[in-house]
Amino acid sequence: MYIGLVWLVVRFRNWHLDGYISDEIFSLIKVKSNQADSSASASGGALSQEFCFEWDHVMEYSKDIKELLGNPKSNYDPLIEDPKEVLNKGEEPTSLKAAWELMEMFYADKLCQSWFPERLVDWLADYDCLLSGDQPTVHSKLVDFQGTLVTLQVIEDDPKYWEVISSALAIGWLEIVVKLLRLHGSYQLDQLGHRETENGLVETVAVLISMMPRMRLELKNGKLGECFEAKPDFMKAWEKWREQITKLDSSAFWVPCHHRQTREGLKNLIQIMLGNTKILCTATDHWIELYISHFLFIRPFTVGFEGMYNLAQKCIQMKPMSSPHKLLRLIIGIIGENTEVVLAECSRGFGPWMVAHAIELLTARSDLADILLHKEHDDIGGISMEELHRLVYAQVLTSHFLTWQIAPVYLTSCMKQGMSLLEFLLYRQPAQHNQLLLKNLEICRLYDLDHVSSNIMKIAGVYHWKHGRKGLGVFWLQQARDEFLLNKIARQLFDSVGKSISSESFKQWEGLIELLGSESKPAGSLEFLHKYRDFKKSLQQACDRKTLDAAQHAADSLMSLMKNPSTPQRFWLPLLYDSLTLLSWPARPLLNVSQTNLLLNKLQELSMASVRPGFVASDLPAEALNSVRLALATNLGRAILEEQ
Amino acid sequence: MEKSVATLDEGTTCTSWNYCGQRLATGSFNGFLSIFDSPDPASSSFTATSKIRIHEGGIVKIVWIPPEYGDAVACICGDGSLSLWEEIAEDGQPLQWKLCETFRSKGSTVLEAQFGVIRTSLKMVVAYSDGHVKVYELLDPFELKNWQLQAEIQNVIDSVSTFGKASCFSASISWNPQLNESQEPSFVLGFNSDTPQLNSSKVWVFDQAHHRWLPVAELALPLDKSDQVFAVAWAPNIGRAYELIAVATHKGITIWHVRLNPDLDGRLSLKKAALLSGYEGEVWQMEWDMSGMTLATSGTDGMIRLWQSNLNGVWLEQAAFEPTP
Repeated sequence: MYIGLVWLVVRFRNWHLDGYISDEIFSLIKVKSNQADSSASASGGALSQEFCFEWDHVMEYSKDIKELLGNPKSNYDPLIEDPKEVLNKGEEPTSLKAAWELMEMFYADKLCQSWFPERLVDWLADYDCLLSGDQPTVHSKLVDFQGTLVTLQVIEDDPKYWEVISSALAIGWLEIVVKLLRLHGSYQLDQLGHRETENGLVETVAVLISMMPRMRLELKNGKLGECFEAKPDFMKAWEKWREQITKLDSSAFWVPCHHRQTREGLKNLIQIMLGNTKILCTATDHWIELYISHFLFIRPFTVGFEGMYNLAQKCIQMKPMSSPHKLLRLIIGIIGENTEVVLAECSRGFGPWMVAHAIELLTARSDLADILLHKEHDDIGGISMEELHRLVYAQVLTSHFLTWQIAPVYLTSCMKQGMSLLEFLLYRQPAQHNQLLLKNLEICRLYDLDHVSSNIMKIAGVYHWKHGRKGLGVFWLQQARDEFLLNKIARQLFDSVGKSISSESFKQWEGLIELLGSESKPAGSLEFLHKYRDFKKSLQQACDRKTLDAAQHAADSLMSLMKNPSTPQRFWLPLLYDSLTLLSWPARPLLNVSQTNLLLNKLQELSMASVRPGFVASDLPAEALNSVRLALATNLGRAILEEQ
Repeated sequence: MEKSVATLDEGTTCTSWNYCGQRLATGSFNGFLSIFDSPDPASSSFTATSKIRIHEGGIVKIVWIPPEYGDAVACICGDGSLSLWEEIAEDGQPLQWKLCETFRSKGSTVLEAQFGVIRTSLKMVVAYSDGHVKVYELLDPFELKNWQLQAEIQNVIDSVSTFGKASCFSASISWNPQLNESQEPSFVLGFNSDTPQLNSSKVWVFDQAHHRWLPVAELALPLDKSDQVFAVAWAPNIGRAYELIAVATHKGITIWHVRLNPDLDGRLSLKKAALLSGYEGEVWQMEWDMSGMTLATSGTDGMIRLWQSNLNGVWLEQAAFEPTP
């Protein structure tokens, strides 16, 4: 069997998410980018200023995109209402947004460079739930534990309790840790009396945790820790905090604490806070969790992106994964500072939308990336990677009826090949649906594609003409200013009108002639049909009213038609034959001598033409010519007499 | 995610989508031409809206006529005839498919026909089983029955070549799908025949000054010139400095870079950019996407494959689909 190949119905699953939302923002950044260029050149090359401005608008662009990608609640917000509700079941976040935030964090948000590790902690808090696959995550362990929480009688006896607390602490989810610690049995009023020391230790650890110094600008409501903006202040506070922990670790209060699990669990937490690599490794599951725990407790003074890649490799060795999640692959590409890998991962994991949009972020920070992405490649037809990815995404949009109208926004930003692709795209839209056609023409108008709109209107015109909607057909051909086809139509009309000139069926053509006779008059011959219509009307009036004025008006119309060079020769005889009444008007001759002579000459010309090849004879009766000749001769005689 | 867009009748032998993918024409082994339409442009579900028997034997191939000339198809039938059918509402009559013209040739059969729009005229290239190729021109855009033979050519690069009576099994034609009219009209033509000189694909360009068709390039290396050609496809060009043409032979699919500005002796400069191989069998059909970046192929192995070039100009298979039975 013969298999047909079709480039049509490649549906894009997330079109509603990706397509509609970003086109406006995409246009916005283009506009802003142009503004930035012009303002920078106006200021005489204030490069740093330009840089800041560009950075600002890239960040603004990123924020807009992020907002449109959805704004799920943080998954680990504890609810005050239910003390046993550790995890808030927020809206499931999307990998796409997680990826976008990563890109923003590393490439566009210059503010976050000074508190980068903390930014990563926030990111993991929002998206750790996405990483659960074959391997558990801290999030999935918390979810499992939450399920068993209501059935546990003595929570602190359960090793899982201490395990999830350590895990949550390792990745900086302090609120959850403190909340879980306060579920400890020693807090219960009936036990407080005989577990006072134990409770004191639990509470001390909880307080220490909630006082953890953090190098960041601010914390959202409900988040724990003390913020320090400046590194020296943070270092001072950190040292003090660590001293307090060390002091607690060597305190004598541990001896009277008889509950083994509590003692060991709390000691474990202290080790985490003191940055014990082995314990951190046990407490975490994915390498990214271990990685973040390193920033929090082992290398708290990290600023910027120093040594990040080596640390990541070390963590991956400690927590190898058979099939890493696409977000983790992306992180590796980003911290490896390999733009090509980042693009490949964006494309593989998150599709053409991500690649087309992320390029703005990729080029914001790095000149190298900028050069790489804007270099023109001969092997792909002389375009840059940036243009290639925009073209690819635009093609994805074109494959669906609901999204193709967004594609022009992207295509027009592609300097080399976008416009040609847009022309192909517009040409391939169905022209028979009026609404779609109008939309198509609107796009042509926006982008000055007059030749494309002419072609589209021509397709529509021919379609309607051939499908029996002749008026609509003529209308679109007129809009297209296609004189060639309009002349063809006019000829067809002449043929029809010529056959039925004396009959009532002419009425069916009247509307069409009216339409053809509009002000544009693309075809000279159409003008004749318009005049012919007027003549037929005045002739009708002359016959109905029988007044001299009406008859004279009709005779003038006849003369005007016969004198007009655009009146085809084959209409001369039918016109005169129609006007027999006028030529032998009883009251007085309506045509003067010279007018009658002109008509007689025309008749003579016609007789001579009839012997030449290619002459089109009318469908009139055989005696028509003689009747007209006789009427004209009679009129001539009467006119001569009258003029004497 | 797979979704059925239309259910074709048993015995369907060929299919063809119109320019905008809103209509599907199918032909069957017993001579039925069916047209499938979707209820509105947003829908991707197609149902048969007309079905007419156009021939006693089977339909071998269907090609849509460019939309500037209405809704019409050319059908190549089992007996080697070519007939043009048009959907039209004649004065006072309902819309129906009508026969406009039939092309027959004594002693040979039609193997392939393709349409090209050049300025205000429609041209049709028809390849016959005796190796002759005829170029017809439509005289009146509203009358698909008025065709004039404009040229008759043989697919040889050197007009003095002589050979005996040719017997061709299949032919492939692909017009340069240009939208602007700055270039002269051109097409590529290849044969699968017993006559080596005819086989290799040649690029034909219309010489406006002398009103004739000229072969300006032969898309084959010296050793491959007699290779039978199964399919050719000329890629849309949205801004490349060169054209891309894919040619399928038993050695694989060759991607050619062709520069359309001829050198002093009138020949075009060529570069064999890639040979896509790695699967057995004959290629049935090839088609480029709108941007001319991806080539889709189907063949006797029952697979549909997508090919793309990477940034270094290396062509790779990007995907392969096996149609579900």
